[in-house]
Amino acid sequence: MFELKKGAFVLDELKNVSIRIGRVVEEEEEEWEEAGPTPKPGILELRKWDHTLLERYEPFYAPMQDFCNLCTMGPCDLSMNKKGACGIDLKTQKARLVTIACCVGASAHTAHARHLVDHLIEEYGEDLPIDLGPDVNVEAPVMRTVVGIKPKTLGDLREALSWAEKEIVKVLHSVHIGNEESYIDYESKALHVSMADHVGMEVADIAQIVAYNFPKAEPNTPLVDTGFGIVDRSKPTIVVVGHNVMYARPISDYLEEQGRIDDFEVAGLCCTAHDMTRYNQKAKIFGPIYYQLRVIRAGLADIVVSDEQCIRADLLDACKKAGVPLIATSDAAARGLPDVSDWPVEKIVDALVSGKLPGVFLPVPEKVGQVAPLVAEAVFRKHGGERKYRFFEDDSAFREEIEKCTQCMNCVFTCPHSLRVDQGMAHAQKTGDVSKLAKLEEICIACGKCEQVCPKNIKIINVIMRANYDNLYNKTGKTRVGRGPIQDTEIRKVGQPIVFGQIPGVIAAVGCINYPDEMKSIVEILEEFLKRRYIVVTSGCHAMDIGMIKDEEGRTLYEKYPGNFDAGGLVNVGSCVSNAHISGATIKIANIFAMRPLRGNYAEIADYVLNRVGAVGFSWGPYSHKAASIATGFNRLGVPVVVGPHGTKYRRAYIGKPWKKDRWWVYDIKTRQKVFIEPAPDSLLVAVETKEEAIVQLARLCIRPNDTSAGRQIKLTHYIELHQKYYGDLPDDWHLYVRSEADLPLKQREELLKILEEQYGWKIDWEKKKIVEGPIRHYDAGFNPTIVEEVYEKYTRG
Amino acid sequence: MAVTKEEKYPSPKRFDIADIQVSRESTAVKPKIVANMIKRAKRPLLITGGQLLKDEKLVDFAVKFAEKGIPIAATAGSSRPLIERGVRPISKTYTLHQITQFLQDEEFQGFDGQGNYDTVIFLGFLPYYLSRMLSSLKHFTKITTIAIDEFYQPHAKFSFTNLTKDRELYHSMLEEVLQNL
Repeated sequence: MFELKKGAFVLDELKNVSIRIGRVVEEEEEEWEEAGPTPKPGILELRKWDHTLLERYEPFYAPMQDFCNLCTMGPCDLSMNKKGACGIDLKTQKARLVTIACCVGASAHTAHARHLVDHLIEEYGEDLPIDLGPDVNVEAPVMRTVVGIKPKTLGDLREALSWAEKEIVKVLHSVHIGNEESYIDYESKALHVSMADHVGMEVADIAQIVAYNFPKAEPNTPLVDTGFGIVDRSKPTIVVVGHNVMYARPISDYLEEQGRIDDFEVAGLCCTAHDMTRYNQKAKIFGPIYYQLRVIRAGLADIVVSDEQCIRADLLDACKKAGVPLIATSDAAARGLPDVSDWPVEKIVDALVSGKLPGVFLPVPEKVGQVAPLVAEAVFRKHGGERKYRFFEDDSAFREEIEKCTQCMNCVFTCPHSLRVDQGMAHAQKTGDVSKLAKLEEICIACGKCEQVCPKNIKIINVIMRANYDNLYNKTGKTRVGRGPIQDTEIRKVGQPIVFGQIPGVIAAVGCINYPDEMKSIVEILEEFLKRRYIVVTSGCHAMDIGMIKDEEGRTLYEKYPGNFDAGGLVNVGSCVSNAHISGATIKIANIFAMRPLRGNYAEIADYVLNRVGAVGFSWGPYSHKAASIATGFNRLGVPVVVGPHGTKYRRAYIGKPWKKDRWWVYDIKTRQKVFIEPAPDSLLVAVETKEEAIVQLARLCIRPNDTSAGRQIKLTHYIELHQKYYGDLPDDWHLYVRSEADLPLKQREELLKILEEQYGWKIDWEKKKIVEGPIRHYDAGFNPTIVEEVYEKYTRG
Repeated sequence: MAVTKEEKYPSPKRFDIADIQVSRESTAVKPKIVANMIKRAKRPLLITGGQLLKDEKLVDFAVKFAEKGIPIAATAGSSRPLIERGVRPISKTYTLHQITQFLQDEEFQGFDGQGNYDTVIFLGFLPYYLSRMLSSLKHFTKITTIAIDEFYQPHAKFSFTNLTKDRELYHSMLEEVLQNL
């Protein structure tokens, strides 16, 4: 029998005909699991699931502006639901904008993945096996569930990428004028493209883990230095910023090869920092994106290397002003700089060190690896360790700057946080005390908008940073290196307690740093859950900030809590693209614990997660498009997400109405009946204003219909305790979650039974201390809920 | 009567100069007008926000509103200082985001089951957060929204002017609302 192999064939009998065989589908791969109903879904295949979700979790719109300016027919006033020249109404236009935002986010991760995979295949070959360690057999849960493939090699990842790229283009097409009429269908598309985002993230992180030998699901990864004060300023310092470690990694390789890694400081900003430490633990984490201006203006960098995403759009300008050369590396951010790919290394180094060029575009990783250290060393030698720019030359220059302020408040009215810079300046002018200005440093995101509107051209960022100089410069901490996926064995251990509710929840704190309050609030929120033995998972900028805040004994959360995926564990999965391991872990619970098939079986898995897995996403400081698509991807998977108050600027949320009793139902596979249930969880995306509100809402949204009595009792105990602690009273809705007396917190059982009788009219058998009448439904140990008709039919068949 | 050129009140300058993309700006109003609108309302509701946790003065004013018989929906943990002062908010658990969603539903019967609210007053919010909620209510409901924070809120139907520079004036205006209720 003729066996098909990859490559070109010429058939002798047919002249001038050749056949190219691309991918050969192997029999073994076909048989790994029976294909489910939706492998490689298009826009329509999961539309029914979306519409079921959106009927319960109604989209909420909070327009940022009343107008649409996207085409040349307008601009159109869409206020009070007028229609635009194209016929679109405000809700649909907002849904369209959200879809665009999610497309941007999904493209960012997927393009990053494509860039990496193509590069790594060139470097390591397409047959490099996907090996994520001995405890990870379900290697790509998102890809298995969505795309329906089980990738074995680097080359196999291309199939998932091709699917994601196709879907992103299709969804982006739908936002063109004259397409979608229904905001619900736009939301379905936003959910679809965001699901593709999780595929893109998973591809990117798996590719870099296997090729760069990042930690493979190791719970106890090392702790690395974090913070502004981490670098030894007597060494040349290379600062890398962005999200794609492909360009920063050769710097570390070159220095190791030269035996000079200890002569330099290599520190990163944003997710590239995470991935540098995953590659080489001698690298350090300066901090998240909002440390860019701080680091550059402080004069800490001798060279900056940028790649892609979440980088200031004026990075070159900021570097120029500070006299720091810049190497831009990614085609996504060439920054107007000349392409010097063909130049010899010496010529590039000379151009940057002499200042002939303020920066270069160099998309060749190996050359970046050589150029960056040579430039850093030469620049360092030039200034002899005395860096040019440190907020102000001396104290008198600092004071003079403060004296310029007239308290016009233009800065306050342009600040995203409405920071009272005027009050800090006035206080400093009157008393010489800069403590009020110093306090602003912890909330300031150093965006620099204030400086542009200051009529006196005060360097406000520098004033704020200088006011908190000592604290800022001495800020150091420890962050646990990103571990990548969760082990199958860990899932096996916690799957049942999570599904039954004995582990009260999984809180996944991910995303950006636009906190409404001081940075330490993220630690305060998460420690409340760690102490209560929830599982806390984190990534990206949130993971970095956690590492910068120390308790009274000088310990960070990473030093106080273990890194395993278990009750009371604090798991750092890694960078933004590592978020796929969090969605992957929820999927693996359905697969490993409950034996639900994954292959092309998205709706069943998402339905399982929604009804059973008490996981809640949390983005205390959201802002990026990537964060929008990450959150929306979690939503499609049935995971609710709580965002901080800036999250309302996404303009859209998914908020259910607990008082609409007919919206809260499931099919119970056991009794074969449609059952009305408690509103759990009652929102899929909701913003909170304060840390107190964040804590209570996170605990509340962990409740799931499938909780056992023991699990519900534990979840209700935490929810009620936290509500009483932070809100001063019992929750308004606690009774909705009570199905029997066994659900009630043990310590308060009698008191709560009395309230149920007196305030809610429930009937109680006081002799037996049992609820006789009142709950929405009674608890049944065999309760088996689903909201997907096909799943119901599948499991009730026969 | 709207606030116009009277010396006492600053012009309705926005707290965020970029929050200008509105087709219909809020009418800046004096305290007496706010009081009259609340008095005329059939179903008024005061919603309090998280800034009550940072500003004792705001708690004082919210307590006085409660004493005047205005029901309070407390959000973001603002129920705690109110309960400590003897006030029983009619809602404590739901976020402003959720309440805004509820208000937009014609079937919402209020937290007491007596019907939806026709006039909603907002006190003690982060300005950018409240701005989005007011925008939502402006477009998708007929509810009269009144912002009595220290910031001018362009998406509200009625709002105080921007009083961030002069908190004494702001407090005296809240006092004046209460005196006229």
